[in-house]
Amino acid sequence: MTVFREIRFIYMRNVRAWLGRPPLIISTLVPPVFMFLFFGAPLGGMTNIPGFPANDYNSYFTGMVIVLSVVMNGGDVALALLADIMSGYFDKLLLAPVNRFSILVGTLLVSGTRALLQVLVIVALALAMGVNIKGGLVGLVAIVVAASVLGIAIACIGLIIALRTRSAQLTQNVFMIFMPLAFLTTAFMPGEFLTGWFKLAVTLNPIDYVLVSVRTIIIEGWEWDSILPGLWVLCAITVIMLTAATWIYRRATA
Amino acid sequence: MSDEFMVEVRNLVKVYPDGTPAVGGIDFGVPRGEVFGFLGPNGAGKTTTMKILATLLRKTSGSVSVSGYDIDADSRAVRQSIGFAMQEVGLDDLATGRNFLQFQGMLYGLHRPDARQKADELLEVAGLAHVADQLVGTYSGGMRRRIDLVGALVHDPDILFLDEPTVGLDPQSRIAMWEHLENLNAKGPTILLTTQAMEEADRLCHSINIFDQGQIVASGSPDALKAEVGGDVVQIALNGSGEGPDDSGKRAVEIIQQQRYVDGINRIRGGIAVTVRNGSAAVPPLVGLLHENRIPVASLSVARPTLDDVFLKYTGRTIRADEATAEALSGRMRPLMGLNRR
Repeated sequence: MTVFREIRFIYMRNVRAWLGRPPLIISTLVPPVFMFLFFGAPLGGMTNIPGFPANDYNSYFTGMVIVLSVVMNGGDVALALLADIMSGYFDKLLLAPVNRFSILVGTLLVSGTRALLQVLVIVALALAMGVNIKGGLVGLVAIVVAASVLGIAIACIGLIIALRTRSAQLTQNVFMIFMPLAFLTTAFMPGEFLTGWFKLAVTLNPIDYVLVSVRTIIIEGWEWDSILPGLWVLCAITVIMLTAATWIYRRATA
Repeated sequence: MSDEFMVEVRNLVKVYPDGTPAVGGIDFGVPRGEVFGFLGPNGAGKTTTMKILATLLRKTSGSVSVSGYDIDADSRAVRQSIGFAMQEVGLDDLATGRNFLQFQGMLYGLHRPDARQKADELLEVAGLAHVADQLVGTYSGGMRRRIDLVGALVHDPDILFLDEPTVGLDPQSRIAMWEHLENLNAKGPTILLTTQAMEEADRLCHSINIFDQGQIVASGSPDALKAEVGGDVVQIALNGSGEGPDDSGKRAVEIIQQQRYVDGINRIRGGIAVTVRNGSAAVPPLVGLLHENRIPVASLSVARPTLDDVFLKYTGRTIRADEATAEALSGRMRPLMGLNRR
């Protein structure tokens, strides 16, 4: 059996397991809607402040909704893996004559798929609210790809925690620590408006660079100077997280 | 591989990363076509050994070949040649019975139509055809066991590993499972099974290895093992047998073990078990002896040896009495199902 065939099987099975839990699908899609409603509307007046880079707040905020949604769901793939470990089904997969990394890749790809679907829903919502993506169709594709890759990188963090702690509860709790990473960003207002320790934290937060890239494509178009740093950061965290997850996974299944 | 052995194990040692010894240097060979049993309490090393053979756990040292393949160098070939029905039934609750089996078949390299056909065939064998399209999560305990077992057969393995195949089943399902396994073995695959049930080992196994604390303490056919125990066993229940200075069991052992006609003596719950050549003839002098020493006898029975007695002879304990402590021990040794293999 070729590796690609193996990966496809594992991937299809995991997608089926995901679709078999309707509440999980809902939890994937509902938060973005609420974020637009609860943050976008009250903060709309920010656009009147001189120097604010966008004319309407929803355009500015769409990037944040995309990034936060992807980060928030990073733990779910880990929880699905834990469920398989607890039920003994994971051992059944390990017993099959397939490459063990096909199992890892097939699992991670599901989180990429989920991120992709989420982003499509968010973008559809944003377009319906009148957001205009300056980067055009290519920009849209770029955003979707970037979000899917980020989804995989974040899922790696979830997998590492899950394989180290072997506890669903701990995984969920530890993952909550990563939530501030999505908020310690220029999510609500541009970097020039920030001061003090918060500004420093945002500068150190890799997630913010990715957010800036995504937002730039939406509100400014192909301004490479603003986009490139985020692209490099995304590549770096993805490579680091994939390597770390692979290493932990190898130790767990060797 | 020597042709006659499907599994060959030499000096296998497993020590868990936290230092807990699980298997302490065992040797055995499983002849082709046999039903080969590991008998012993929880925590004795049976499941650990089986997981090592199945490439789920890494051994500390020793050499193991399965179906002629080295488990380290050729783990994928080993996995292709074995089927493993696990103690912690590993099922995909969110799949239907048919989908579960079909997916198993595809994981082992069958093409979709073949896997589908095989799944239908196995559902029939397991008596689950009528629930084929229901989610596995809705199956009863017996049904889960059966689908797990046939799930291990999708690729017609040379060797089938069964980890306590009937634990938790009601008596009727248990007997049905035994019949099923006997029929299965008649068709070809070598079967390696672990069990804590003497009756099960006695009925199914051609040969038995008794595990205790990571060692194989005895092995042979059920009949040979029972013959080794020697004669009959006289079980004597004593009033006031327990801990403390007045322990009548302790005094009884001291007195009886000096008798020439006694081959062996062990403490059991509530009394003693005496191994003698001729049970019926030994009863009068035994009772007389206890009476003389004012040790009150509550009841008495004479039995032909069973595998329970074999276990008792080699470990000094009955397998059931051992369970409470073993449970606690194995809880510590297997902190998480399956995955403690760092």
